[in-house]
Amino acid sequence: MDQTNWKRRLLLAMTAAVFVGGVGQAAHAKEITLLNVSYDPTRELYVDFNKSFAEYWKKKTGDDVKINQSHGGSGRQARSVIDGLAADVVTLALAADVDAIATNGKLLPLNWEERLPDHSAPYTSTIVFLVRKGNPKHIKDWGDLVKPGIGVITPNPKTSGGARWNYLAAWAWARKQPGGSDATAREFVKALYKNVPVLDTGARGSTTTFVQRGIGDVALSWENEAWLAQKELGPDKVEIVIPSISILAEPSVAVVDKVVLRKGTRTVAEEYLKYLYTPEGQEIAARNYYRPRNPQVAAKHQELFPKLELVTIKDFGGWTKAQKEHFGDGGVFDQIYAQ
Amino acid sequence: MNIRRATALASLALLPFAGAAHAQDAPSQAGVNDDLRQEIEAQKQRLAVLERKLEIQDEAAKAAAASAPRITASATRFQIGSADGANFIRFRGTLFADNRAYAGDSAPETADTFLLRSVRPTIEGTFGGIYDFRITPDFGSGRSIIVDAYAAARFKPGFVVTAGKFKPSVGLERLASEPDLKFMERGLPTLLVPNRDLGVQLSGDFAGGAFSYQVGYFNGVTDGQSSDNLASPDVESDTGGDYAARVFLQPFINSDNFSLRGLGFGVGATWQDLDGAAANPYLPSYRSQGQLSVFSYRANTATGTAPNNATYSDGERLRLAPQVYYYRGSFGFLGEYTQVKQDVSRRISPTVLRSDTLTNSAWQGQFSWFITGEEEAFRGFTPGSTWQPGKPGTGAWELVARIQELDVDDAAFEGGATSFANPLTAITKETSYGVGVNWYPWNTVKLSLNYDKTSFEGGAATGDRADEQAIFSRFAINY
Repeated sequence: MDQTNWKRRLLLAMTAAVFVGGVGQAAHAKEITLLNVSYDPTRELYVDFNKSFAEYWKKKTGDDVKINQSHGGSGRQARSVIDGLAADVVTLALAADVDAIATNGKLLPLNWEERLPDHSAPYTSTIVFLVRKGNPKHIKDWGDLVKPGIGVITPNPKTSGGARWNYLAAWAWARKQPGGSDATAREFVKALYKNVPVLDTGARGSTTTFVQRGIGDVALSWENEAWLAQKELGPDKVEIVIPSISILAEPSVAVVDKVVLRKGTRTVAEEYLKYLYTPEGQEIAARNYYRPRNPQVAAKHQELFPKLELVTIKDFGGWTKAQKEHFGDGGVFDQIYAQ
Repeated sequence: MNIRRATALASLALLPFAGAAHAQDAPSQAGVNDDLRQEIEAQKQRLAVLERKLEIQDEAAKAAAASAPRITASATRFQIGSADGANFIRFRGTLFADNRAYAGDSAPETADTFLLRSVRPTIEGTFGGIYDFRITPDFGSGRSIIVDAYAAARFKPGFVVTAGKFKPSVGLERLASEPDLKFMERGLPTLLVPNRDLGVQLSGDFAGGAFSYQVGYFNGVTDGQSSDNLASPDVESDTGGDYAARVFLQPFINSDNFSLRGLGFGVGATWQDLDGAAANPYLPSYRSQGQLSVFSYRANTATGTAPNNATYSDGERLRLAPQVYYYRGSFGFLGEYTQVKQDVSRRISPTVLRSDTLTNSAWQGQFSWFITGEEEAFRGFTPGSTWQPGKPGTGAWELVARIQELDVDDAAFEGGATSFANPLTAITKETSYGVGVNWYPWNTVKLSLNYDKTSFEGGAATGDRADEQAIFSRFAINY
């Protein structure tokens, strides 16, 4: 056998060894690690959900899957992913933050919402008021929040997804009042933020400000976060007030394509998000006070989720428009908060 | 925290005055109490808000710090990395400013010289905690070359893939990095093993480094040479490639204090088989320890239409390199033996081709001792103290000694005019004794002084080549 053949065969063998070795590692990888980058109040939800999914995945494939969680203000989390935080999946507070990852980070396709049912929002929530025991300031609806001497706790809409839902819910209420318009809504929201003493970066921080630090008279809160606070503190500490109008908050989930491609975790990442739509996943969401999409699971937990008039992001022209108009640099929030 | 406390104290200090002012204006005691209570509540809220704002600022600062790039600039390291440490780029370099002097008539006067032996800035880094790279050019000795340029993937400790230009794992002292060398110039066994070559290597460590292996395939280079020494630098011009392999054991490396903890031994090897051609001899020349050329095979002397009569590599080449080191406390020993079996041919006439297998070998034993008490090791050490004018501390001082020999196969000189090497110009053996002292006044600075006396067999028109006494000194920066 001549030298050229020897050399070619050896190179082929070594190349094969490298790839077989790599593939072998993948084939024998019994522990898979995912990173779920989420927003502030989902800590408890995903602790429960991850445990359930790991059991499901072990039973289905025999592989161990470990899901690491990262939580923070939704906007800030999206920024971290764009900056390189290797999230296999994002489960953020609103579609605009996932859009930012697709548009600015180019880490997933722009049509990511179409890849899962319910435009990739497997559970919903809304915005309610959390007040102190006995509601000493008699706060019943949005209009009470702008009265003098009322301290309103809400996070910074520039970093928090929940804060943007809060803002838009307040705007929607004002616009629906007699004689209401975008102009009156703007003045209302401006007055509301004058009563905000502290802007936290995320919803969990706002809960801490209100509950643990004792600041303010009312916290604008995710419904699930309000239930959780009441569960942990007891109804003798805080009460939940349901306003006349609120907004359908739709937290969005997506696989981060470029990360799962690099890590070889696409299959398990996709299955992880699909599991949110299963009856088991929906039940876990409901148990953690998120409104399930599944009608049967929703009916089972209906006492947790009072019916109220809900506007949607479509009433603001969709997230792309709302984000740019209200929360973009120089947008309405910047204008009213700077004044 | 101090600001928070000061704010709290100031606010609390004001409360009685605020309360007193209201008390004077209040129409009734009940009203006074209500006003006071409201004022206290308002002050408490203001204080809580201030505290919370400071808390949020602290959290934001910590979050920013946690995600901020990490920049390290220390006495030994210059590095930029990501917050999680998985990605970084490091800047390193070596600069060796040497003086070479030869005692007596052991070398031509022109050999005495200052030179920049090595000027090597290095950029290296890691991505994703797994993928490494290194780029090292060398501007020393009046040339510009790429010394190292490779990428590596550390899939597992036992499964690492390296590709590019780097040191094939064969000779022990060759694998030591320049800053870790005990002598300014590597020993004679290193003349027989490859320096840098282009190729791919699988390697790994098992049992915490107790067993390591390397297996590679390279373009192939002549003894002691790099691929940049080829006729077309870093471009293969022959038909053969080098298969290289090495195993190394440190059986006691994981013991706590066992006396043989610093023992390591193994063997490296390369094998090549190529179709030779006199136009591309692909054979080495060898240097003395004083870096003067003392051996080469016969070059082409044919004229006119006579065939090229240079000695050339023609067939197999097998290198074997058993090796050992032992480090304990301030003492160190490194020993290695290298043997090269090389098929050579030389066309004596148009009809006569002379072929043979030559066996050249070399060995060395080198000893090192930190008289200032630092621990000897194959890779790296930290001076126990640094030396700065007017301040306490001597830096690290190290004494070194070495004995070594290179033996060229006698068969290379047989056959008179038809021999593969000319005994009148090429030595058949050199034996060298060397001593030296290294001073490390600073972590990154090393001053060396070496003395090597080398005696030869053959290599002269009459008798043996004169003994060589080389006195080398070096000012080195390694960062």
